[in-house]
Amino acid sequence: MISLYVQRQTWLHRMPAGAKLIGLAAVSVALYPVTTAWWLLPVLIAVAGAYASLGPGGLARLWIVKPLVPMFVLIVGLQWWTQSLNAALVLLQRMLIVIWLANLVTLTTRMEAMMEAVMPLLTPLKWFRVDPARVAFAVALLVRFVPVLMAVMLNLLEAWKARGGGRQVWRLAIPMMINAIRMSDHVSEALAARGGVHSR
Amino acid sequence: MKDKSLVQIALYAALIAALGLIPPVPFLTGIPITAQTLGVMLAGVMLGPWRGFLSMALFIFVVALGAPLLSGGRGGLGVFVGPTAGFAIGFPFAAFATGWVAERLKRLPVFAAALIGSIVGGILLLYVFGITGFKLVTGNDWLRSTQIMAVYIPGDLVKTVITAIVAQAVYKGMPSAVATR
Amino acid sequence: MSEQPNQNHQQADPTVVLDRVSLLRDNQPVLHDFTVRLTEHRIGLVGNNGSGKSSLVRLLNGLLQPATGSVRVGDQDPSDGPESMASQVGFIFQNPDHQLIFPTVQEELTFGLKNLGLSRSEAESRAQACLREHEREDWADRPVHSLSEGQKQLVCILAVLVMQPQLIVLDEPFSALDLPTRWHLLDWMHSLPQQLLMISHDLDTLTDFDRILWLEDGRLRGDGHPNDILPAYREACRGQEGRL
Repeated sequence: MISLYVQRQTWLHRMPAGAKLIGLAAVSVALYPVTTAWWLLPVLIAVAGAYASLGPGGLARLWIVKPLVPMFVLIVGLQWWTQSLNAALVLLQRMLIVIWLANLVTLTTRMEAMMEAVMPLLTPLKWFRVDPARVAFAVALLVRFVPVLMAVMLNLLEAWKARGGGRQVWRLAIPMMINAIRMSDHVSEALAARGGVHSR
Repeated sequence: MKDKSLVQIALYAALIAALGLIPPVPFLTGIPITAQTLGVMLAGVMLGPWRGFLSMALFIFVVALGAPLLSGGRGGLGVFVGPTAGFAIGFPFAAFATGWVAERLKRLPVFAAALIGSIVGGILLLYVFGITGFKLVTGNDWLRSTQIMAVYIPGDLVKTVITAIVAQAVYKGMPSAVATR
Repeated sequence: MSEQPNQNHQQADPTVVLDRVSLLRDNQPVLHDFTVRLTEHRIGLVGNNGSGKSSLVRLLNGLLQPATGSVRVGDQDPSDGPESMASQVGFIFQNPDHQLIFPTVQEELTFGLKNLGLSRSEAESRAQACLREHEREDWADRPVHSLSEGQKQLVCILAVLVMQPQLIVLDEPFSALDLPTRWHLLDWMHSLPQQLLMISHDLDTLTDFDRILWLEDGRLRGDGHPNDILPAYREACRGQEGRL
């Protein structure tokens, strides 16, 4: 549940994570000099085609940008009004292409593969005396405890509703906070009982 | 860094994800207030500047790896190239500043220290990141970027007050939980 | 401490000795001048909350250190801290969600082994062997959060067993489990060669044990066969019924 990864075997899944990340960066940079709206349209269509190649439901994933629609309207409207329709369309397409491509990398790359691809980038942490292995441990711990704390959260939301609830539902942040801190005491004890996190 | 801090950092990051499940409360300007951004300011107050920073850095790192931990189930690399990317990238720094300020204000009551810390970290500093990101992605100038982003400030001011209320309540229930005391 | 995992912990001297131990927590005395020698295979620990049970077991792997006196588990002294005891003493806590620290069963099982200095592939093959031995081979890649409470607790125990400790300490391991799961796990644990030390409020789970320790206010109030100690403890609890 805790990943956006789509389990399938497409050409994009087979591509190494590092290559996809570099490709994403290259496209983002290459788009910048383009100032004519028409030139971006084929790129946009190609990106949509890549989504379609994910198989059934692939194109529907383009809706990832739905929460951004109001902001897009605002930005494009402003750009049109202050500059030109062409400038507005360039901006809109550029944002869509980059967001969709970035999301495409996420959809087709396992978290572990992504982690391995970025591990070399974490090497400089050693200069700050942070062991990359501990970073990997922290990531695993986070992935493990998200469903645990989400279950606690859902229980609290149920209890809140069962007792009448109300609008100040943010108050649940208080027991959540205390819960998480208690839990972290238990977890550190259990971790110590198993020998702790060894740094190499 | 000791194992205990490492566990705290990871569990706190997981907590921020869980807070994303609290249904957003619609606010005056029509912009929903999510409890998740509360968590960023609370991270600073509860864990102190350094662990608050690391916990938020871990959170956005795992979001970038592809976990849908942002409220509404958002996540992945797309978050970091959109017009609001600056905010996500600013989370660790906002938590740091909130914690740093709250720690300097130990003499004040928890409520006041958390409130002032949150305003400095969760609004002033976070908006520097947010506005810069918006400017870079959309190509608007500083003034216009600031004007557009300013729409969110009233809602975020409410959040700083809520952060302070939560911090105070947690402090009452479990004083040892607040690292900036 | 030697980095070599000892393959024969089960055969090692299964003796736990506490000699005139006193223990403070938050400057409050928890155990007073406590002496006990444990050689039996399965030992139960009963007593009301606050009697010192949890503190006592935490002395055995160095999670807590005694103020005075000495503790010995086999030929090890837990005062070196939990890191060096992890391969000798396995600990099972009340809530599996506090103990399972990795997203998948496989990672959970290999974690302790890698701490012992095993390479990744060695650790993985030992973990798989352990799963096979307990007929749970298909669990390796399961996400931990998809398991039932009983299955999670079983993974906790497997994660400890794979380290081949000589002693397994269980701190109310069954309180979140339903009765069938409780008995199933208990039967299974009775078949293990390791020495067991179990805290439980469910006295029925302790009737087949070899020895029961009854703690009260940090002292031994009773010590002996379950047939003698459990009824006496039950009786004493009846007498204490009062205001909450």
